[in-house]
Amino acid sequence: MKDQLKNLDQLSRRKFVARTAKTALGVSVIPLANGMQAVQAAGGGKAEHCIFFYMSGGMTHIDTFDPKPGTETGGATKGIDTGVAGIQVSEFMPGIAKRFKDVALVRSMTQKTGDHRGGSYWMHTSYGPRATIVHPTMGPWAQTLLGKKHETLPDSVLIGGGGGGPGAGFFGPALAPLPIGDPDKGVQNSRPAQGVDEDLFDKRIDLMNTFDESFQRKFKNDEVAAYSQFYDETLKLMQSEDLDTFDLSKEPDVQKKLQNYGSGRIGKGALLAKRLVSSGIRFVEVRGGGWDMHNNLWQAIPQRAGELDKALSALIDDLKAEGMFDKTLIVLGTEFGRTPKINANGGRDHFPRCFSTLFAGGGIQGGQVYGKSDKLGMSVEENPVTAGQFNATIAHALGMDLNKVVYAPSGRPFLVAGHTRDPETDAIVTEHHPIMPFFS
Amino acid sequence: MKTLASLLVGIAMLSITTARAEMRTWTDLSGKTVEAEFIGTQGTLVKLKTSDGKLFEFDVAKLSEADRIFVKANLPTDPAALAAAIDQLVVNKMKESYYGLREELAALPQNANLSNAEKLKRKEEIEREMEMCIPNERTSDEQFLRRIYLDLAGRIPTFDEAEKFLADRSPTKRAALIDDLLDSEAFAMRMYNYYSDLFRIREGVFMMGNGDLKVDPYIEYIKASIREDKPFNEMARELLTASGHIADNPATGYLLADSGMRLCNLSNTFTIFMGTEITCAQCHDHPFEEVYQMDFFKMASFMGETETRMRGNNNSMMMMSMGSNSRAEQERMGKLLKAAGKLRENDTTDRDLSGWMGTTNIQVHDDGSNAVQLPHDYKYDDGEPNMKVEPSAYFGDIMEVSEYESPRHAFAEWIVSPNNPRFTINTVNRFWKIAFGIGQIEPVYNIPGHLDGQAQNYELLTFLEEMMKDLNYSTKDFFRVLYNTQTYQREAETMSPSLAQMDKGTYHFPGPVLRRMTAEQLWDSLVTLTTANPEGVTRQGAQKYKEWMHTDTTAFKTADEILAYKSKWGEIGRLTKYDGQYVSRDDNVGGEAMFRASEMRQPQQPGHFLRMFGQSDKQLIENQFDDGSSPQVMALLNGKITNSVLTNPDAYLIKEIANGRGSKGDKVDKIFLSVLTRYPESNEKSAANSGMRARTDSGMSDKQKMEVEAKAIGNVIWALVNTREFMFIQ
Repeated sequence: MKDQLKNLDQLSRRKFVARTAKTALGVSVIPLANGMQAVQAAGGGKAEHCIFFYMSGGMTHIDTFDPKPGTETGGATKGIDTGVAGIQVSEFMPGIAKRFKDVALVRSMTQKTGDHRGGSYWMHTSYGPRATIVHPTMGPWAQTLLGKKHETLPDSVLIGGGGGGPGAGFFGPALAPLPIGDPDKGVQNSRPAQGVDEDLFDKRIDLMNTFDESFQRKFKNDEVAAYSQFYDETLKLMQSEDLDTFDLSKEPDVQKKLQNYGSGRIGKGALLAKRLVSSGIRFVEVRGGGWDMHNNLWQAIPQRAGELDKALSALIDDLKAEGMFDKTLIVLGTEFGRTPKINANGGRDHFPRCFSTLFAGGGIQGGQVYGKSDKLGMSVEENPVTAGQFNATIAHALGMDLNKVVYAPSGRPFLVAGHTRDPETDAIVTEHHPIMPFFS
Repeated sequence: MKTLASLLVGIAMLSITTARAEMRTWTDLSGKTVEAEFIGTQGTLVKLKTSDGKLFEFDVAKLSEADRIFVKANLPTDPAALAAAIDQLVVNKMKESYYGLREELAALPQNANLSNAEKLKRKEEIEREMEMCIPNERTSDEQFLRRIYLDLAGRIPTFDEAEKFLADRSPTKRAALIDDLLDSEAFAMRMYNYYSDLFRIREGVFMMGNGDLKVDPYIEYIKASIREDKPFNEMARELLTASGHIADNPATGYLLADSGMRLCNLSNTFTIFMGTEITCAQCHDHPFEEVYQMDFFKMASFMGETETRMRGNNNSMMMMSMGSNSRAEQERMGKLLKAAGKLRENDTTDRDLSGWMGTTNIQVHDDGSNAVQLPHDYKYDDGEPNMKVEPSAYFGDIMEVSEYESPRHAFAEWIVSPNNPRFTINTVNRFWKIAFGIGQIEPVYNIPGHLDGQAQNYELLTFLEEMMKDLNYSTKDFFRVLYNTQTYQREAETMSPSLAQMDKGTYHFPGPVLRRMTAEQLWDSLVTLTTANPEGVTRQGAQKYKEWMHTDTTAFKTADEILAYKSKWGEIGRLTKYDGQYVSRDDNVGGEAMFRASEMRQPQQPGHFLRMFGQSDKQLIENQFDDGSSPQVMALLNGKITNSVLTNPDAYLIKEIANGRGSKGDKVDKIFLSVLTRYPESNEKSAANSGMRARTDSGMSDKQKMEVEAKAIGNVIWALVNTREFMFIQ
């Protein structure tokens, strides 16, 4: 018995070193792509890319996609027709109303927590925050389950939001989404500093190589080699066209396009995201803020929702024009909705019990609403959807195997949309399933 | 090139002599006696020498109690002697390993189990490992200087510090420098960085609107504990048993980090203090170790009475004057402000004030009822779902809970007990890793259940364990010994330990491994290049926070008094210069706040240089990383720090060192010594000289000239900071 335990002990240690090697050398995780056929048979797997709009702060559902005009909770927000009988969205979403045949709504989202960080964590990972592990977000999951999509470009990119959040979680920093703080600036520090021309830059590089020669000759360590490789690759990247991918100003007709997308952060983020997926990047998250409307909601909502509506509409039109719409999944999420009851300051507070999200493109059947809130938007009346199901839907659209078990370095098993045990077989299986009507 | 001869020489030099030579009578358990002199110990062996010079070894367990007490009392505590003993154990192991490998190599051609290709591969492995069984050369003074500063002060030495040490002719200058650095404020900052990653010390653990619970007292507590060299076991005990509000009892910060996550906290405590991973057992019996889910919940029950929030109005320990109704007091102040027209429309500070005051509820206390129960899906037959279990430990001391102030106190004593087989091992293994780059056992957070018989240097590990106990868990003394060893003072290994070596623990430390600087070491080294006194700016919020929280607000009768009180809140975390003045924007260099990482935001915002290079987000234990990435390289090539901070005409290195100090000394020498802690080779010097040639002309103003010259010097600084030599600790 003791010997056996010793062996197992060694096994877990070996796993640890294998992982250390991978991250140290920047080698990405071996793709585990299988089960794709089964996913496709079920209508998923049509999306090759995903643009995930995340509205930080808690997007009000009643004033965007689940209007309750004329009720005590509806406030000043009116509804407008979508062209699909019986379905209205709020007056602040005219572009989406017009394109509703391409859009699917979820009006029965429900969450367990009303704090921003916790809610955002659930929405991004399908798991609750823990103090012993960080779970990965969907971009790194896709890279792990489907393999790296582009040879030189990163697999996932995060636009806006400063790069916070769980990121690659236990997959390690090598899979972390590349952060782009400001869509106008592209990749941080990717061009020589002001006043450093090409000659001077080359001169400095020569100096660096001269000064580093004896050290590099002496130390043959893997870690040193890895850094030297990063220098080589970065210098190559700085001269390559790949970098232009992140440069919004290189987009043809950029000014004209921005008139459609809107020139705020969301508009620019959406256009850059389109540019990135067109170049072959798989997963782009565009983070928007300013939704935490505790005070004077109706002062803020026309602009905030207006920018979002414009960006989503232009993106749908653009992807269609480029023939990318059917292979690009557009998702809109947020950590929770806002209280139907309007507070004393003319705002709405945090409301995890019921809120809305949106899906479009990438094989999603548009023109429908899944789930239903009650008359006042206070609770879910039909088909509640959790963060796990929300992510299961994304995973299914992209062709990920929901039942593929991936082990964290500590040896704990995880699945892309949460895990549970099959009561009959005791096998580890997915906890959540996709919204299947979206795939019919 | 290393030779076998150096291995042999190394051994010959290392025989310990102690000053405690004294003949006495030794008795073993069977009553046999011997007249001998106590030489020292090795692991559990006691070494004796008789008057005719014969050496004997006895297992300490076989000696009489009086002998054991004598041994305990006479263990060497002189750092040099302890360091020599460690060196001997290290060299012994290398030697043993070397000869074992040599035998294997000799027998390899006859090995019928291996194909020729396998033999060739194994031959290469063996030769590589043999090479790593030969002690590296002793470091040069320059190498030692740079490394000991990075390890103890957390940064490279300043130009003055480097010059002083290199000019010193004393044969004991290394030991003297180690002593000085251990007593420096820089050491407190450096060790704080380690602990803040281990304990996950972060700001904003509790957010109340826009106000949060300040961690300043906790940060200051950790630093003070390092400064005064609080024994590590004592610190662990305090962290686990602290009660009250963080402003009054800062050690509560440890439990607050996992507030509301009792079971995670237990796993974390095991990882931090015992290097043991039991998270698995939270959900089911541990697959690799003999830990059952029931064990986990019995352990968790020790902490089952501990809460991190006071319920209801029972928060009168703080803000005594407010009595039990702080909410009413907040409303009173809000009204007063409103009446005076001092509240702007949409201003959220009235909400902030209540948020700040609301943190009085965040207090660690034991409420007398165990909140831990078995999970709702508990499936083993030794318990029912949702059942409560009594606290008890599955190894180590058996604790009689009723004899302690609370079950939590019993748990803390169980952890730090000398009979806990994991606590001390974990501590020495972690500290060893700080000094040598990898632990005796890796991964440090998952020490295997059966230590003996693994391939690690078991004798060394148990020696370190005993040494830590003998040194009474003094962190400073323990590091003093490690840094005084020849093993530490050898050159860094030029090859990476292989995966097999990491896995089996067969890297025997011919020298420390080569490490990339941590994010904090890198940042703090850059800070060192921009200022004369890197430790001159500190964060001093603990006392101010305490005063703020204890202010009698009911005495405020005017809006202005309340506003003054509010503005004091903003001063709590502000950085303070050595002269007592607050830091302002004017103290930035090239627009960047260049102060030591330990004094700035914990952790920094994502996207900050520190985070990019791997500063932990402090969400998980030891979550820092030292992997490279393209964004890092781009930051060093094109970013602000290397292009406008270090090369700013006002930056210390340019203004005071390169251009300052009269005309004395060579500029290139000064820059090399400042950045790489060594003087340049002749080819480097001529390259640097041509790289710093500034193109000035007579039509330029003095200011323009200065800028052009700074930029020219900046080329060399830029190039030096971008070398791997700068980034790695050799």
